[in-house]
Amino acid sequence: MLFEKVLYPFDMRKASLNVKPYILKLKEAGCREVHMVYVLLPSEWGLITKEEFDCEEKIEALRSAMNEGFVMGLLKIFRKMKEIAKEFEENGIKTRVVLIPGELDEALAWYANKYQINLVTLGVTSESLSIFRVGKILEIIKAVTQPVLVVKTPEEEDGEV
Amino acid sequence: MPLFRKTLYATDFSPLAEVALDYVKKLKEAGEEEVVVVHVVDDLEVELPEGTDLIREKEVFKILPEVDQEYVINLIEKLNAIKEILEDEGLKVKIYLRYGNIPKQIVAVADEERVKLIVMGAHGKGLLSELLLGSVSTDVIREAKCPVLIVKRREE
Repeated sequence: MLFEKVLYPFDMRKASLNVKPYILKLKEAGCREVHMVYVLLPSEWGLITKEEFDCEEKIEALRSAMNEGFVMGLLKIFRKMKEIAKEFEENGIKTRVVLIPGELDEALAWYANKYQINLVTLGVTSESLSIFRVGKILEIIKAVTQPVLVVKTPEEEDGEV
Repeated sequence: MPLFRKTLYATDFSPLAEVALDYVKKLKEAGEEEVVVVHVVDDLEVELPEGTDLIREKEVFKILPEVDQEYVINLIEKLNAIKEILEDEGLKVKIYLRYGNIPKQIVAVADEERVKLIVMGAHGKGLLSELLLGSVSTDVIREAKCPVLIVKRREE
């Protein structure tokens, strides 16, 4: 049960993509389910209600309230995540891709508890852990109650996926 | 891929560290073959050079006051007990008892042993006060070159 349900926060950066091989490897130690989550920060989601956007239909329904460019942006993120998640499914790991609005720490802690997650993974850059910028990552580690696997990527190797 | 082949298990012998040990054992199923068990002391009666290896540097042990010798023997016994537990799981085990700054020595051993992962418990108190005071787990996360698995205290 220690690694059965894994929360995999994804932010479209290579640093978070670098966590994927670790989750795939954990299948051998009992990982059966991955929740790949993109958190829509307040600056991005504006007036979206707190909902779990886990299919294209839900995202497309936002067209009535949000502008076209924003909705298309979300669809692009969702499709990219689905594409990345394919490898989990191919390896027999059940996968859920979902976009949720909220603050990073609160949203991830809420999600982890709701879905009884066993392990939270965090793909971060070395720079984000520097003495001046460690705050955000620490807030997440503090907020969740589950074990946290922190995988670091050198800043120069990071970038958009 | 040998992502978990060699892990470092940092222990302060607390109940939380025992929980973290369960994760170390479980990782064998994901390819773990070798575990480096580390405990760091920073509270001896005498000051020693940073990074002193209290198991391998026998001459240092001899100059310690009796109270420290007893303390060190007790810690080595605890490390050997963990070694036995992990060996029973079929893992290759190496133990370290270092003197000095705790996170600095954990990371130093991780570098020397080229481990793939560090596993350790994180006490909530340390995490909450981190921004002002720093803590073992956050310093290890910050300084380690390899991934770190932090096991948190559940009752919080």
